[in-house]
Amino acid sequence: MTNLFSLNYFGPELILTGTILLAIIVDLFYQEERSYRVGLWVLAGIILSAVTLLINQQSVPVALFLGSVVSDPFSTYFKFLILLATIFTIVVSFSEKELGNQRVGEYYVLITIMVLGMFLMVSATDLIVVYLAIEIVSIMSFVLAGYLRGNRRSSEASLKYVIYGAFSSGIMLFGLSIIFGLTGSTNIFDIRAALAGLDTSADLALILATLFIFTGFGYKISAVPFHYWTPDVYEGAPTSITAYLSVAPKAAGLALIIRFFNSSLGAPGTFIETEWIFSSAIPWTQVMAVLAVATMTLGNLIALRQTSVKRMLAYSSIAHAGYMMMGLPVLSEHGIYGIMIYAFLYLFMNLGAFYILMLVRNNTGKETFEAFSGLGHSSPLLAIIMTLFMFSLTGIPPTAGFIGKFYIFSAVIKAGPGFYWLAIIGVINSVVSLYYYMQIVKAMFFKDDNESGITIKFSMISILTVILAVPTFIFGVYWVPVADWVRNSLVIFIR
Amino acid sequence: MATVTFWLIILLTVFSALIVVGSSQLIYSAVALLFTFVGVASLYIFLWADFIGVVQIVIYVGGILILVIFGIMLTNKITSVRISHTSVQRGAGAAAVVVLFILLVTMILKTPWLEIAAVEPDQTVASIGKMLMIDYLLPFEITSVLLLGALIGAAMLARRGR
Amino acid sequence: MDHLQIYLIVGAALFCLGLFGVITRRNAIAVLMGIELILNSANLNFIAFSRFGGMNLSGHVFALFVIVMAAAEAAIALAIIINIYNLFHTVNVDEASQLKQ
Repeated sequence: MTNLFSLNYFGPELILTGTILLAIIVDLFYQEERSYRVGLWVLAGIILSAVTLLINQQSVPVALFLGSVVSDPFSTYFKFLILLATIFTIVVSFSEKELGNQRVGEYYVLITIMVLGMFLMVSATDLIVVYLAIEIVSIMSFVLAGYLRGNRRSSEASLKYVIYGAFSSGIMLFGLSIIFGLTGSTNIFDIRAALAGLDTSADLALILATLFIFTGFGYKISAVPFHYWTPDVYEGAPTSITAYLSVAPKAAGLALIIRFFNSSLGAPGTFIETEWIFSSAIPWTQVMAVLAVATMTLGNLIALRQTSVKRMLAYSSIAHAGYMMMGLPVLSEHGIYGIMIYAFLYLFMNLGAFYILMLVRNNTGKETFEAFSGLGHSSPLLAIIMTLFMFSLTGIPPTAGFIGKFYIFSAVIKAGPGFYWLAIIGVINSVVSLYYYMQIVKAMFFKDDNESGITIKFSMISILTVILAVPTFIFGVYWVPVADWVRNSLVIFIR
Repeated sequence: MATVTFWLIILLTVFSALIVVGSSQLIYSAVALLFTFVGVASLYIFLWADFIGVVQIVIYVGGILILVIFGIMLTNKITSVRISHTSVQRGAGAAAVVVLFILLVTMILKTPWLEIAAVEPDQTVASIGKMLMIDYLLPFEITSVLLLGALIGAAMLARRGR
Repeated sequence: MDHLQIYLIVGAALFCLGLFGVITRRNAIAVLMGIELILNSANLNFIAFSRFGGMNLSGHVFALFVIVMAAAEAAIALAIIINIYNLFHTVNVDEASQLKQ
């Protein structure tokens, strides 16, 4: 579709851009202590964008801007997911004490630019847009991770983030250049057509290119062995941003991986298939399976040894990336279905867990397991909600986490006996994760040394945690609407 | 004559890149980086990329390198910040990189790259301009948003105090 | 001079040198210089593929975006580095690492 007509389908993105510009101007008129009001403008823009997305929903995929991006139900699904996470993040940021004593106008502007980048990530079909989108999200996250100026941990987090980020995107770029050299095109559908005509002498180049490109993608979803930045960045960044980074860019990265590898390296003509086009050279499915296993196992094993809850949640988010990656090697419709459901349900439970940590930290000033001790006596409701999130993250029924794991594991099992070992390791990992999630539950209910006597003051965050707890429980019992929505969204643009 | 120049430029590029990563004095690295950038720009000219060659000099040499040199001048004790868990030994790093280089050269020589004969265009600016305004309009516009964000972010990070 | 492979090998050499710089240097600015080498190697590849792939200008446009992006990234990275440096001067390092436990 030509550039001009594409604008008809680009409403949500245009509104986001307008919001960015408006927020920058509005920020000029607020005093420092009122700068949080920029967040209200941004929130309005995000909600407006979500409404536009809802109204403009396409059931038929279209290519926009001469094939640079597409608009299809698959990308729309992830856009909703990103907007939902953004709304929670903006609302929680109003009461995030870490941000308290500085200007926060830019904070909301940068989040909005990041949303725009993630929108492009989930819909990009051109290598240039893929690269630009990843860079936009990365650069904005570097700044947001270091937003707490004067805080050494936050600044170090952003330094590590920028070094690893720039490095992995450079390697990805080298891989993209090899693909460009083989095919002479930047459009992923043209690339697929050109790759189909290559003989085996190009295998080495393809293997290296894929590895290089996966470095960039794997870094975005913090897959092993590209996860080094995750714990430090998650620990140092403001908690509101940590929660956001663990959910939204990860979902966007998975969407990008699915679209990129499916559309450029999959066999032409079909929607989603089990074989990758050059699977003869290297057993890609096995490689991906091993990466998934390494990611979840490493995340879980290191999470066991943490004393800081924030760091524990960081490693747990690596483990969850591993669970979601289990859907990749099977690369069947079921696998992608599982990833999409998991990403959605994971949003509620993970944001919820981080927000309760934020509440505890705001009231006690600590992020260790001890900070949670006695919470079951002083604020029973909060403790019960935290227990629900912990159960859900482990995958115990009847919680949303169980449903997510159920769909992922069943997709793996459906892929055939060759994948049973993957499912078994996934289950073992879930059992291991029970141990460290239950540490928090134990501290909350069974440690009676309530010497600090923490009382959680009523605030916006406590309302948010209740709001997040409701779907975590409801979707664990009645998940049919989600499953239906995802099934309808399982339409990916092909050419 | 042109061939000699060509090989001299390649030598300059690779040798100065060696100094960039090998020198223990940061400022030497930065100056060597200047020669690498100029060398790469000259290779662009050999590849008929006049516009990109100029852009390379203007932005890399005139912008990024100046930033890097300012960075070096403003910070001289930054070495105490640990940025990696696994500080690779130079020997081990060199071995790994040499293996990778051999692998890459094998790949370059073995692979049937897409090669189509072409004549040298008078200039590339007009065609690149058209592509930016038509085929790559979206990335072009998105870049402006990114630069805006980077500007705000950098200003925010560098603002001292409150 | 008119062989694609020569340019690609120069690109590969720059890539490997950049990689070497990133994994062995401890100084953040030196690492940044290594990253710039990697970006240059990718750009050289793009331009070379453009020239030998029938003067396909997509590669030029890609390289242009990469250069712009590299500038943005370098600006952010140096702002972060200078920020860290200021902290080292204004904050006692041992005290800072104890902050908010």
